[in-house]
Amino acid sequence: MTFTNLTDAINIPKIIRVIPRNRNIEAWLLAFALGLFAFELAQIQLSVLQVLCADFWLYFVPFTLAVLAIHFVLRIRASEADSLILPIGVVLNGLGIAEIYRLDLHTVAVKGTELFAGKQIAWTCIAIAVAAVVVIFVPSHLFLRRYVYVSMFVGVGLLLSPMLPVIGRSINGARLWIGIGPLTFQPGELAKIALTVFFAGYLVTRRDSLAIVGRKIFGVRIPRARELGPIISIWVASLLVLVMQHDLGTSLLYFGLFIVMIYVATGRSIYVVVGLTMFFSGALVASRVADYVTRRFDAWLNPFDQSHYDAVGGSYQLVQGIFGLAHGNLLGAGLGGGLPHLVPLAESDFIIASLGEELGLVGMFAILALYLLLVARGVRIAFMHNDDFSKLLAVGLSFVIALQLFIVMGGVTRVVPLTGLTTPLLAAGGSSLIANWIIIGVLLRISDSMGSGQRVIGAVN
Amino acid sequence: MSELALFIVRLGFVAVLWIFVFSIISVIRADLFGQKVVSRVAAANAPEVISTPVGNSAPFAGSSPLVSEPTGSSAVKLVIIEGDKTGQLVRLERREITIGRSPDSDLIVDDEYASTHHAKLILINNDWLIQDLNSTNGTYLDGSRVGTPAVVKLNTPVRVGKTVFELRS
Repeated sequence: MTFTNLTDAINIPKIIRVIPRNRNIEAWLLAFALGLFAFELAQIQLSVLQVLCADFWLYFVPFTLAVLAIHFVLRIRASEADSLILPIGVVLNGLGIAEIYRLDLHTVAVKGTELFAGKQIAWTCIAIAVAAVVVIFVPSHLFLRRYVYVSMFVGVGLLLSPMLPVIGRSINGARLWIGIGPLTFQPGELAKIALTVFFAGYLVTRRDSLAIVGRKIFGVRIPRARELGPIISIWVASLLVLVMQHDLGTSLLYFGLFIVMIYVATGRSIYVVVGLTMFFSGALVASRVADYVTRRFDAWLNPFDQSHYDAVGGSYQLVQGIFGLAHGNLLGAGLGGGLPHLVPLAESDFIIASLGEELGLVGMFAILALYLLLVARGVRIAFMHNDDFSKLLAVGLSFVIALQLFIVMGGVTRVVPLTGLTTPLLAAGGSSLIANWIIIGVLLRISDSMGSGQRVIGAVN
Repeated sequence: MSELALFIVRLGFVAVLWIFVFSIISVIRADLFGQKVVSRVAAANAPEVISTPVGNSAPFAGSSPLVSEPTGSSAVKLVIIEGDKTGQLVRLERREITIGRSPDSDLIVDDEYASTHHAKLILINNDWLIQDLNSTNGTYLDGSRVGTPAVVKLNTPVRVGKTVFELRS
């Protein structure tokens, strides 16, 4: 007898559908997200200009086209990718553009010349295109594993490039930019992706020795010195960034990322304890030694002190942001109804304060919920994967977003000292947009490979 | 625009933003609970379906597990017929399938009677062999403990810990 039709006879129910359903859900949510964007633009025009004008299309059309383009790329190249990441990214990015446009309208009204919304929409389109390129040309994220050490060099190179003599630029006291002519770029934003790839690749090969080896002292397993080596070198590098580039946020971001990934890889909380102790002791020393860190700390602890408020580089910006948030109250002043332009850098570092003022506490929590869902999707992608590299990469990339948001929002709301990081997806700035959309692209790519092959629920591989 | 209209628009926007958040949450909820229901149904159905022998061919109808046949490459999947994961299957796409509690196993057997690296299936000369990897509680092929690697015939139960599986074509 033949067994050819046995598969039909033993009909194990297939539980997970082959899902283009994902993409249809995504299409609905994208339509919703673009509707929200239109709502924002219209509301801003109505409350600032009192009329709707044709500028609306200038912002709405390119954004919509870019979003539709990446949606169709996903339909063709990654049909089983996560359906929620893209809509969340679109809503956040749209909110950012709308708020920047609103600030621009005020600048125009007072005859200012520094406009950002046009650039922001252009960068958004470029960034979404880059994400689409990632989805198209990275066949599988495992392909990144071949470039673990390359990405280490790229990451460190990018991180240190602002210190180069000719192209390095110092803006607002932090040496984080490189510039050619009028174009400036923040290479640290891209470095975070390269370093995440490196950490993931490195920890996959080392996780066993990091997790198991070591002597027990007082019931706590202490890792061997040679396992601590890389941690110490990352710690030194992040302190170097702190001292040389004058940026507390960046160094906290990289070190925090490394600690989280090592914790995820080994499951040993000793690394978190050791890492945090090392970072805080380093930062404490820096706050005594480095002048600018001392000022930041003072502005953080006593922002309402008149001398700090008046000092150059003091707490003026922070305090204005807090006044803005207070003005926003529970329900907000409404898009276009507040006075966010009173805060310096309202379109970039303090976009959270601007949005908080105009959307209120309720809107702020909606934004936080969106970030939470975005990060949770990333962690879920990590959870669903069975190989360690994918797990670590997805956790690392989602955590970059979470940690960066914490550092920025914590800075604006006085939970931690204020630093110069950008709010992911919301703030004005091309480098940050590109970096965060690449993260979205890679997460989409990883989530697509989850569904490859025929799967049965809980299938063992 | 009047103050009142602006006020309504203002509240409306925040409300719509929250509706978006909740529609995302509802998709996640549907993913979670939708699947769960189906999987319970599967668990209830699976053993029954599996113990039915080659449905249509009359001579075999009603008899207990199929007469063993040489396996060879005709075996394409491993079906779990007893244990926590009853009803699941693993495709035999590689030449080696590792079984055990360790998370890097191809078939993860999660019970206290299984060892970390319990056993493995190897494809040699068109036959699937089961090899016990010095497990504490042993691997049983059709009821007898596996010493040296033994050929696994189609539809022959193999027990690892509390889990029993068969190879099927």
